[in-house]
Amino acid sequence: MVSREQIESVLGRIRPMMQADGGDIELVDVLGNSAHVRLTGMCAGCPSAHMTLYMGVEMALREEIKDFAELVVV
Amino acid sequence: MKAPGAFSPDNVVVGHSARMRAIFDFVKVVSKSDSSVIITGESGTGKEVIANLLHHSSSRRHQPFVAVSCALFSENLIETELFGHERGAFTGAIKDKPGRFEMAQGGTLFLDDIDDVPLSMQVKLLRAIQNRTVERVGGTRSINVNVRVITGSKRDLKKMVAEGNFREDLYYRLNVLPITLPPLRERREDIPVLTDFFFKRFARERGIETPDVSSAVRYAFSRYRWPGNVRELENACERIVQTCTCGTVRTGCLSASVLFGAGDPVAAPSTTELTAGEPTAVSLEDRLREVESNLISWALKVSDGNKSRAAELLSIKRSTLGDRITRCGLQEAHHAQAPAADASEDEPIAAIA
Repeated sequence: MVSREQIESVLGRIRPMMQADGGDIELVDVLGNSAHVRLTGMCAGCPSAHMTLYMGVEMALREEIKDFAELVVV
Repeated sequence: MKAPGAFSPDNVVVGHSARMRAIFDFVKVVSKSDSSVIITGESGTGKEVIANLLHHSSSRRHQPFVAVSCALFSENLIETELFGHERGAFTGAIKDKPGRFEMAQGGTLFLDDIDDVPLSMQVKLLRAIQNRTVERVGGTRSINVNVRVITGSKRDLKKMVAEGNFREDLYYRLNVLPITLPPLRERREDIPVLTDFFFKRFARERGIETPDVSSAVRYAFSRYRWPGNVRELENACERIVQTCTCGTVRTGCLSASVLFGAGDPVAAPSTTELTAGEPTAVSLEDRLREVESNLISWALKVSDGNKSRAAELLSIKRSTLGDRITRCGLQEAHHAQAPAADASEDEPIAAIA
């Protein structure tokens, strides 16, 4: 089972940078081994930002959390 | 081989750093000479750019510039690639083919990745460079070649000589005029001017306005380690220009490697453990710069961008702090946080004529 803290600790690494631009990546829910996140701020509506964050953050989560399954951007 | 006209010296960004300025001054001096130049630098630091610049600043500029990566060919192929072959030299050799040396006749031959040339081939290369003649594979005739040879290497050839992987005689033949290109992380002060240059260029190519760049992105760029050097920065800018949908580059545009790499308290790869095991090279300069950059960022952050207060926290003079901020490339990043600060921006030397 993946814990909220584990996911937050990974998100926390990029959060200050995103917040500096008035955005954020919010952890909405942890379901089993998957995390649901929401982008807020200026980049929230940008499909490119969704794509890059989606791929990059998921990869980072998989690298650092052994059982991590999937990242869902809601 | 580079298409003629693809390179323009006007598209070369020099930047602020003393090291790069020194390199460009040196290039101006040695471009007039015909002696061998060896350019050493990590992948993506701009070895071919410098080779091109040398050629285009020399009296050979109206003659061909031939660039070839020695890493591309197998041991057997490299000989025919460089020296050419005669018809019938081997199966499939249906006609005579000149090698790269001959193709560069009168001009400049840039042999990149010289550190990947196998020892057996190094002897032949030495002979060709020393005697200024080549023999095509399968041929008996010596062909005179008048080329200036520039070599590129990502490894320290002197070390390779010591390890027995590179011929000493060839090393001395090549190493007449050495140029060492620093990795981008050792000249972070050049990141802003390079970033602006690339955004402008790619936006022009795409036919859009040059995007604005947020201070957080500039900060991330200044903190990231750029293992792929200028090439990686160039590609990052290209990708962003192609994907940006709102006209302003923000952190959402950044790739995860930059975002995570810049967000780490101390850039991860530099925290190589200093153990008693296998010794690995570390750059003291690089490490110190990172520590400096981290402390200054911290001080500026906790003092809300007030430089006098930040300088107090760091027990240094206000003027010293200003210099160090510029040196670490933090200037742009903290503009937003310190709008009233009097950070004087030097006019960047964008290109050399």
